[in-house]
Amino acid sequence: MNCKIIHFYPHLMNLYGSYANLTVLRRYLELLGHSVDVVTVAPGEEVNLSDADFIFMGAGTERSQKAALRDFRRFADDIRTLADSGVPMLFCGTAMELLGKSITDEQGTYEALGLADFTAVQSARRQVIDVYGHTELFDAAIVGFLNKSSVISGVERPLLTDCALGWGNEKSGGGEGVLIGNVMGSHLTGPLLVKNPRLLEHVAAIICSRRGEALSTPLPRIPHMEESYIAAEQQLRLRSEK
Amino acid sequence: MKKFFVILICKMIRFVGKLTGRGSSLPGKVALRLCPDILTRVQLPKRIIAVTGSNGKTSTVEMIAAILRADGQRVVYNNEGSNQVDGVATAILSCCSFSGKLDADVLLVESDERYAVHSFRYFRPTEFVITNLYRDQLTRNGHSESVYDAIAPAIHPDTKLLLNADDPLVSCFAKGHDNVKWFGLDRCTLSSDAPTGVYRDGTYCPLCKAPMTYEFAHYNHIGAYTCTGCGHSRHDTDYAVTDADLEQGVLTIDGEVQVHLALRSIYNVYNILAAYAVCRECGVSSETIAQVIDNYILKNGRVVRFTIGGYDGTLLVSKHENSVAYDTNLRYVAALKEPCTVMVILDAVSRKYFTSETSWLWDIDFDLLNTPQVEKILLVGQYCHDLALRFSFTGIDPEKVEYHADINALAEKMKVEGAGKLYVVTCFSDRQKFLSHTQKEA
Repeated sequence: MNCKIIHFYPHLMNLYGSYANLTVLRRYLELLGHSVDVVTVAPGEEVNLSDADFIFMGAGTERSQKAALRDFRRFADDIRTLADSGVPMLFCGTAMELLGKSITDEQGTYEALGLADFTAVQSARRQVIDVYGHTELFDAAIVGFLNKSSVISGVERPLLTDCALGWGNEKSGGGEGVLIGNVMGSHLTGPLLVKNPRLLEHVAAIICSRRGEALSTPLPRIPHMEESYIAAEQQLRLRSEK
Repeated sequence: MKKFFVILICKMIRFVGKLTGRGSSLPGKVALRLCPDILTRVQLPKRIIAVTGSNGKTSTVEMIAAILRADGQRVVYNNEGSNQVDGVATAILSCCSFSGKLDADVLLVESDERYAVHSFRYFRPTEFVITNLYRDQLTRNGHSESVYDAIAPAIHPDTKLLLNADDPLVSCFAKGHDNVKWFGLDRCTLSSDAPTGVYRDGTYCPLCKAPMTYEFAHYNHIGAYTCTGCGHSRHDTDYAVTDADLEQGVLTIDGEVQVHLALRSIYNVYNILAAYAVCRECGVSSETIAQVIDNYILKNGRVVRFTIGGYDGTLLVSKHENSVAYDTNLRYVAALKEPCTVMVILDAVSRKYFTSETSWLWDIDFDLLNTPQVEKILLVGQYCHDLALRFSFTGIDPEKVEYHADINALAEKMKVEGAGKLYVVTCFSDRQKFLSHTQKEA
């Protein structure tokens, strides 16, 4: 099959190597035997989202995030419809905050898309820390790094149910990110899909199953990805057990 | 009396540290603990020059000191210990008299970006050089806009700012500040029409986030920009490199001062220009400056030449977590004409803290190494698989790429096998792990 991936604001929202989430997803889908088109959207550009297989937005600075929000509001209805129909999406870093009710910084409060009922409050105080946690999606631990300036309150269903190491949405050790059906949001860098092969497989499986495509077995492997995960997982697990 | 004892203790700790061969920031740290306002109790020279920015601080400060000394000025600077307030206090207190007078013409301070506001609580620079702001140690610093927000409150209205006109974010420091001098690099042979690199931080204006256009770029987002929204654009320069030819290793400042480059890197060009600009502002003649910086070889160990087995090696310190530093060194290697082996070592991300964060590898333009003369690439250290994964997404022939988790085993092998030019790109944290196996060139 041919997969259509929508990449929102690739130059505006591209901190912490965010783009690499799509780089590895594309390679993985290709290894599964599919062709992939990535459609990029810059602020102000038109795009047809109706047949999207995956939607992605990377992390940006807090100022870039506000610029992204100003433009992204026009897609609110489309995004909600696609989310309701089960289209998988990933919003990294500050992009995750666009999914909630509002974002507040020193200048004021900005209304966000409202896909879920959480709020983000930003301050000059940053949380910068390695993360080791778990998700309800699979058994393997999730690894990554967190670098954010916001406290996120009111998430009902976090992507990481606990952080044995690191900060969650609101506090040390708590749940991190958000899951809204197949829509994932997380402040974890790594990038998330690069560092976590199980999550990459999970996303690819949703994309394929929505199109009625069975995954080939054995599952393909991107060389070095597993070894890289194991190295980080061992290091971070040791530190989480201290 | 308290001042006397604090200075005495500081000097004693430093003396003991020197005997045991360790330069550190401990003396200043202890002094600040004993007497938090000690830096307001000492008498500092009238001229205080500070340098901050993501890259080039140490090299720029070293050259400024060399120039001012050649001009007959007495300079004290924090060349040992840290560039945070402890290191600054160590430099000041260990050089001042017991009465608390710093007997020098100039206090020169290399300042950490994020902690400038702490150092400058006690004294304020007369000249403040800001070299550049890029993605640097994102794991510690957040991003360059958050670093900007940390530096801004450290700028006193009376301080003269010397800003890099080619950096769109650094240029924002001039908003609402009257006393500004600008330095920059004119269009020259090394310029391109648009920004280069894996990510494009110059795509949008740092002030209003509208798209920016470039007349030319020197590297990454450094160049001549104009915002299509608010009009934020490259300021006219007071000091300019009017021509730079890295292949010939020559640059011209203000159309008349020729300088030969011991290190043919674009960074070196900017560091020299920044040092030139601030020294001219301090009244040093362009002749004196040219004499000092012509073929100036930095002493700070950022470039080390060595041999191992049949290899003739050069180590370029690149700072992990800093993609622009990597890009600059990779561009330098890519521009060489001779066949070579390139080694990238990533064993510990930082020497100061633990992290397994390697997302910055995706910000580095490793495709720069996709040239015929780079014949082999060795990816080395604990994170060699993160490197190998990143390299598998470049256009580089996988046949050229090897990975080795064990630095020692690889070094032993290289002592008996292989030959040719070797370029090692790595950070302070990992440098010694390989250099300890090599013979340094005198």
